[in-house]
Amino acid sequence: MQKKLVVLSFLVMAAFVLLAVRLFFIFRDNGQRYKKQVYSQQSYDSTSLPFKRGDIVDRKGSKLAYSEKVYNLIIDSKLLMSDEGIHLEPTLNAVRKYFKSVDTAALREYAEKNPSSQYRVFAKKLPYDDIQAYLEFEEENRSEEDENRVAGVWFEEDYKREYPYGSLACDLLGFTQGENSGYFGLEEYYNSVLNGTNGRRYGYLTEDSVVEQTIKPATDGNTIVSTIDTNIQSIVEKHLLKFSEAHKNEAREGNGANNIGCIIMDPNTGEVLAMASYPSFDLSNPRDLSPFYSEEEIGGMDEEEKLEALNRVWRNFCISDTYEPGSTAKPFTVASAIEDGAIRGDESYNCNGALEVGEHVIHCHNRLGDGTLTVSQGIQKSCNVVLMNVAFALGKDRWLKYNRAFNFGLKTNIDLSGEVNASSLVFNEKMGQTDLAVGSFGQGFNVTMIQMASAYCSLINGGYYYQPHVVSKIMNAEGATVEDIEPRVLKQTISNSTSSKIREMMKSVVMEGTEGTGWSARPAGYTMGGKTGTAEKIPRDKRNYVVSFCGYVPADDPKVLSYVVIDQPNVIAQDNARLATTLTMDIMTEVLPYMNIFMTEELTDDERAELEEMQMDFSLDAETVKEQSDEAEGAEGAEGEAAEGEGAAEGESNSPDEADAPAGGDDLETTTVEMIGAGEGANEEGTEGGIRYDEATGYPIDPNTGQVLDPETLLPIEGSTSFMD
Amino acid sequence: MKFDFLKKNRKQLAGVDLNIVVVVIFLLAFGVIMIYSASSYEAMLKMGDPQFYLKRQVRNVIVAIVAMVIFSRMDYHLWVKFSIGAYIAAIVTVGLVVTPLGFEVNGARRWINLGPISFQPAEIAKIAVILGTALMITRMKKEEIETPLGMLKVMTPAGIMAVAVFLLTSNASSAFIIGMIAVVMLFVACKNYRFFVLGALAVIIMGALLVYLIHTQSIPAMSFRFSRINAWLNPEADAKGYGFQTLQSLYSIGSGGLWGKGLGQSMQKLGIIPEAQNDMIFSIICEELGFFGAVVVLSMFMFLLWRCLLVAQNAPDIYGSLITVGVLAHISLQVIMNVAVVTNTMPNTGVTLPFISYGGTSVVFLLIEIGMILNISGRIVFE
Repeated sequence: MQKKLVVLSFLVMAAFVLLAVRLFFIFRDNGQRYKKQVYSQQSYDSTSLPFKRGDIVDRKGSKLAYSEKVYNLIIDSKLLMSDEGIHLEPTLNAVRKYFKSVDTAALREYAEKNPSSQYRVFAKKLPYDDIQAYLEFEEENRSEEDENRVAGVWFEEDYKREYPYGSLACDLLGFTQGENSGYFGLEEYYNSVLNGTNGRRYGYLTEDSVVEQTIKPATDGNTIVSTIDTNIQSIVEKHLLKFSEAHKNEAREGNGANNIGCIIMDPNTGEVLAMASYPSFDLSNPRDLSPFYSEEEIGGMDEEEKLEALNRVWRNFCISDTYEPGSTAKPFTVASAIEDGAIRGDESYNCNGALEVGEHVIHCHNRLGDGTLTVSQGIQKSCNVVLMNVAFALGKDRWLKYNRAFNFGLKTNIDLSGEVNASSLVFNEKMGQTDLAVGSFGQGFNVTMIQMASAYCSLINGGYYYQPHVVSKIMNAEGATVEDIEPRVLKQTISNSTSSKIREMMKSVVMEGTEGTGWSARPAGYTMGGKTGTAEKIPRDKRNYVVSFCGYVPADDPKVLSYVVIDQPNVIAQDNARLATTLTMDIMTEVLPYMNIFMTEELTDDERAELEEMQMDFSLDAETVKEQSDEAEGAEGAEGEAAEGEGAAEGESNSPDEADAPAGGDDLETTTVEMIGAGEGANEEGTEGGIRYDEATGYPIDPNTGQVLDPETLLPIEGSTSFMD
Repeated sequence: MKFDFLKKNRKQLAGVDLNIVVVVIFLLAFGVIMIYSASSYEAMLKMGDPQFYLKRQVRNVIVAIVAMVIFSRMDYHLWVKFSIGAYIAAIVTVGLVVTPLGFEVNGARRWINLGPISFQPAEIAKIAVILGTALMITRMKKEEIETPLGMLKVMTPAGIMAVAVFLLTSNASSAFIIGMIAVVMLFVACKNYRFFVLGALAVIIMGALLVYLIHTQSIPAMSFRFSRINAWLNPEADAKGYGFQTLQSLYSIGSGGLWGKGLGQSMQKLGIIPEAQNDMIFSIICEELGFFGAVVVLSMFMFLLWRCLLVAQNAPDIYGSLITVGVLAHISLQVIMNVAVVTNTMPNTGVTLPFISYGGTSVVFLLIEIGMILNISGRIVFE
């Protein structure tokens, strides 16, 4: 036994020594690596604090897109199941009561299966109101007995992108995924501007190995101030929708046209006031195909087809699609020839309905011919023969030179994502005489809507080619201006005198009774210049057309330009420019009073009656819109008021653009003078990007009601009165 | 061997081996300090009181010391009468775990709750097996114990208890310790080597074979059952699962280095190693006090075991000697297994570090065992 004890003691001692040796090797071989590991594990405690993506506001300060703070519900199973799980039932009951969307059965299952998990998101994007109720309950609940106490539920902050106007300006705004990645439009183009930097909350060890916590706050993203006017945008979209509804299933199954696009621009700055295309999609739910396809159709699509269909819905027709402009390109040919000195502008050409160019006979719209026409009449009646002759006088090299001067074939570099490069779709040096002939009236080369609209602006504003833009200012999260984006003149395309000659010609398209092709575009009470376009699509024998109209008001001193393009209207005879002119008229009749551009022409009795009838419609529309988006600033009311024409002068003189509103009208002169006064007054009292701020509080003022608004909620602050009253 | 101090003290209590008392008190005090260090962070977070575990362990230790003093004053021959009763009582309490009196802690149903006190029956089982096996061997003839049948007979009470503990409380490590205590006691009691060497070789070969098969995944259908063994072979491959605890413990040991980060400076106890005051306390000791501290602790245990060995060698009778050997086996097995787990020398299993890890049952029954040894040491008679 003694011997055995000695053996035993040797065995035990040997085991101890071996373990000590093992310990030694662990720290000798891996000590440094493990030490780093230990330190790196400490950073597990750091949590990311999300930044708030910047807002997108319109020129008046209405929020088109903003990020709202929301909360994710986190379950800590370890705490939930602590104390032998007595907290489980009361917690589940509370969650069931306060968060209807949470599947408590799944929660129970998860907690029971993963009792050691400490982080699991169980509900996302809960509004503060929901969690506030719960937090209050939890506060009271703290004093309860153990078995009634809740445990293991907490919340983490997050942000959710909101689009208060639903689908308004969807193509232009774009949308976000994962809340902070922009897709299409402004959201994509200004993605890095809108995004901030995440903050971090982290624990670290002091020299005494005490865990301290530090917070590096998140930097919120910048806000971009758009040149878009929500009201103009909604007027435009309303009429596009109306058009589409009116011609739905008329000649074929489907919408009123394959695509309808409209751009409203300020020709003197290149600012885009509205840009819309139909169909539109819901920004809050961009992946929903149900408005465009039946359930079976969606069911039949695979992922790739779905994505393709979605991309069709998402793309911005105004900048991403190209087409042959047709006759709307004619003024460019004439302007080039006048500018170059090839013609004086008072020449006459004989049109007998067609012109033989090389081996081709190229017809006029009016195959019978209009006889002898001046250049101006050629524009007015949209005569191809006159235009071909003008182009021949100019020659193809110089025609091409001017074509490029107007930026055709080049991107406009508008600050929107998705602009297409059409450089391969325009003529180059290899063009022949036939190409020149058809090019003179806008066939044979492709353009985008934004290219046309921007080129048109330079054509009518004295020759200044402004880079089209959608954003006028970038502000930081605190509201300080980071960057002012001024209108940028890129080049002078034509001289001022050529520009004024072209304006005269284009005025004759609309203003000379029913002589011109564009007479039906004129909003009652205004002078307008413009040009129609009816371009046959390839293949030519299908008789599919792109009809368009580009018009501006007033005819002599353009303040606003509207460009409407209807791709394959759903009508029997598509080659009807009236579809585009009347749509322009509908839009402009509402937009002009809203912009405080005043009528300069006498109204006939018929027009007056018609207008009054329309006003009824507008105010009704305005009310419905108002109901639809209460969340928004409430500026919609302006639509209704503005629609009342003269009445518009009363309260909306806030925007600085309108300070130069006197449009030279005679019969409304008095109102105009008052307007100047009001406008300047507003300027003195502090305007900033179209939003007026109360001097005393620095809070924004509702341009319609004059009430001071809460800067966070944009709801009127009760009891406060505006100095306007 | 000479025991001068024992010669001088004829009186029973004065005759106890004070070395054992001193080293046990040292280990207990050291344990309490380490428990406070290891648990205060988590205790603050979960219980709102950084001294939560400290206070409870101090209470446990006081109760345990009282028990030790009482048992050291009771003649160990008394246990001859109580051995069978204690054994039956132990089996019954193990069985109680599956009744409503039993309850779970950390997912393992190993506890029973008797009103004000709750304890782990496996700890009672160990002491019962020590007493029972000692009695069994004492009652046997010297020749019988050398036969295979005799050996089997000696192993019977421990075997039944081990199976009961394993089946009823699914506590493999306790069952293993119970069995091994009896094996060690038998090894010391008989003259035979052959059986033990062969047995050890057989176990080693079979174990190696099993590990090899698992490692090469030759038995894929079973492989998930052996996750612990896979985690032992390569803890980094399963760093978030079975390998987590082991790996974190290795990080602690490695980062402690030679001299450690200093008492209270462990970073791994800050929420990384859960319940660091329990089985993993040795890794915190290594982190805070370094290799040096770990060796000091191991030396204290070696000293304690050496003193126990002397008592076993000089005990007045076989019975006392065997009880001492059983206790010695119990303590050394737990220390070796605990340190082996912490250093990933063997697969992860829940064994506490005697006198140091947090836990009331363990410390009370360990000190009862120490009390018995003290009583035996006091009865050593020198010629």
